[in-house]
Amino acid sequence: MANVTLNVNGEARTASVPPETTLLKLLRDNFNLTGAKLGCDVGDCGACTVIVDGKPVNACLMLAGQADGRDVLTIEGLATLDGLHPIQKAFEDNASLQCGFCGPGIILSAKALLDENPAPTAQQIRDALAGNLCRCTGYTKIIEAVQDAARALRGEPADKAA
Amino acid sequence: MATKTKVAAKRAPLETLREADETLRLPAITPPVTYPLETLVPEVRHQTPAVGQRATRPDGRLHGLGQTRYIDDLAFPGMLYAKIKRAGVASARIRSIDTREAEAMPGVMAVLTGREIPVNSFGPSLKDQPVLADDRVFHAGDGVAAVAAVTEQIALEALDRIKVEYEPLPAVFDPLEAMKDDAPKVHAPNGNIYATKVIRKGDIDKGFAASDHIFEGRFRTQMVEHAPLEPHATIAMWDPNGRVTIHSTLGRITLGRADVARTLKLPINRIRIVATIVGGNFGGKNEITQEPVLALLSKKTGRPVKGTFTRTEEFIATTTRHPIIMDYKTGVSKDGRILARKVRLVLDGGAYCSWSETTLGKACILSAGPYKIDNLHTEAYVVYTNKTMTGAMRGFGAPQVCFAYESHMDDIAAALNLDPLDIRLLNAFEEGSPSPTGQVLHSVVVKDSLLQAAQRFGWKEPRS
Repeated sequence: MANVTLNVNGEARTASVPPETTLLKLLRDNFNLTGAKLGCDVGDCGACTVIVDGKPVNACLMLAGQADGRDVLTIEGLATLDGLHPIQKAFEDNASLQCGFCGPGIILSAKALLDENPAPTAQQIRDALAGNLCRCTGYTKIIEAVQDAARALRGEPADKAA
Repeated sequence: MATKTKVAAKRAPLETLREADETLRLPAITPPVTYPLETLVPEVRHQTPAVGQRATRPDGRLHGLGQTRYIDDLAFPGMLYAKIKRAGVASARIRSIDTREAEAMPGVMAVLTGREIPVNSFGPSLKDQPVLADDRVFHAGDGVAAVAAVTEQIALEALDRIKVEYEPLPAVFDPLEAMKDDAPKVHAPNGNIYATKVIRKGDIDKGFAASDHIFEGRFRTQMVEHAPLEPHATIAMWDPNGRVTIHSTLGRITLGRADVARTLKLPINRIRIVATIVGGNFGGKNEITQEPVLALLSKKTGRPVKGTFTRTEEFIATTTRHPIIMDYKTGVSKDGRILARKVRLVLDGGAYCSWSETTLGKACILSAGPYKIDNLHTEAYVVYTNKTMTGAMRGFGAPQVCFAYESHMDDIAAALNLDPLDIRLLNAFEEGSPSPTGQVLHSVVVKDSLLQAAQRFGWKEPRS
């Protein structure tokens, strides 16, 4: 068993897990943070995306031990009691999520992008979300939501033209 | 073990408690999750206009918060993990299955084979699909044995220790080959063609005789997996009263309930299926897969049993879209009017029927296209092959034939030097046109749609 200590959503957490445990399994099975989903288990679909030290990673490809001592942000750590995160709000307003299985991963990929680049072009959003598959094929509304969220995070009024 | 846990629960700090969870696989203690308390419930008796309103999804907020519980997100105290051993051979007789080594492994709680299933066949129309292979393997994705263990890793390792001896049998993979008389029979003694549909309208011989040109073409489509982001997942609990509760990613609960009742040989009122939000269905979650297997593993162990398909299993052991081989023969007048059409469809049904009959019917009816054709002959066959079964998928055969008849129209237009739009406008359905099966169609806007679309994207503008 391997002991891991990491910071999850701002809270120090420890667990003792078999060494082959992935970060995804650790989050889902040990911490019951089931927002990150297991879609393919080989890093193709992005449903397990979480943010580790500011970078989006596929949690199914990272071992729990590799996350030792690092900062992990999951979808559960985004909203506060005061309200939704602007990205979550934009996804809700645009009805961007259909079955919703890809949602947590896409929202976190979008957050990592907007943290680095507050005013991305549509192409830059597409590139940043290239590792996140949506099989309901709602990409148009997803990209619109990220654009709306970017505007909201910059403090600009929402684009009501559409 | 139970007493130990109780003592631990009294005094141990949180992390020790989690270790106790590990042994019993209790759901872990959740950290406090903060999310807004405002909800999306609409105001009671508040009438809003349906048209012109921007609609949001009522479940959209939970999706975005990561709080939607899909089946794989659920856990129950004492839950075991199940894995199914896949055959890996397309056609074989099972000589023997030796599960002793797997059963002896620490952490393995139960092993199940096809012989232990009360009624080992199911299907939405033909009951030709075994839950686990009995003595015959019909395609490589067939399950031959299942294991329930305290962790997924142990279950996977146990699969490797199950020894299955196969006697390979001849297999057939091409639907056209499978139609021949001397082809190996997938489900002997029955023939490989398991459903047929024919539509006749007018007199195609006269129609072809009157035609100025006759065009022929063969079109084929490939097998497609639905690939929903959420893999099939099930949790089964067999309670001491002999009732079974199944949490499943099923999209068609009532049908699944009937199939589970049949395979377990229980009255349907003893089966309870709980389905939550499905993470993508697209037709691939319309029928049961592992549900009876997990139910029986739960019966054997007295514990809840969870099974989640791997992405590989999604491809090899769940239904897919029918590949169709489509032969078109069309007689047209000089100006491009269709006078007669003959269509022959061969659907690759894979190893089991699943929703093939429905798909066959819809593909056959729609195969002539949205065109006025007085003389029509359509025949469609669905045949068994030793491949992953094909079933329902968005459109039920309509996308395949659409690809064929529209490609065929383009070929005809090119050969006659006609504008592809004009040949469609010339032949398209009008208000009151009869469909191939004689249904009189109303609210027909094919031509309007085509013209509007052509205008919007500048079809008539010169192309470089």
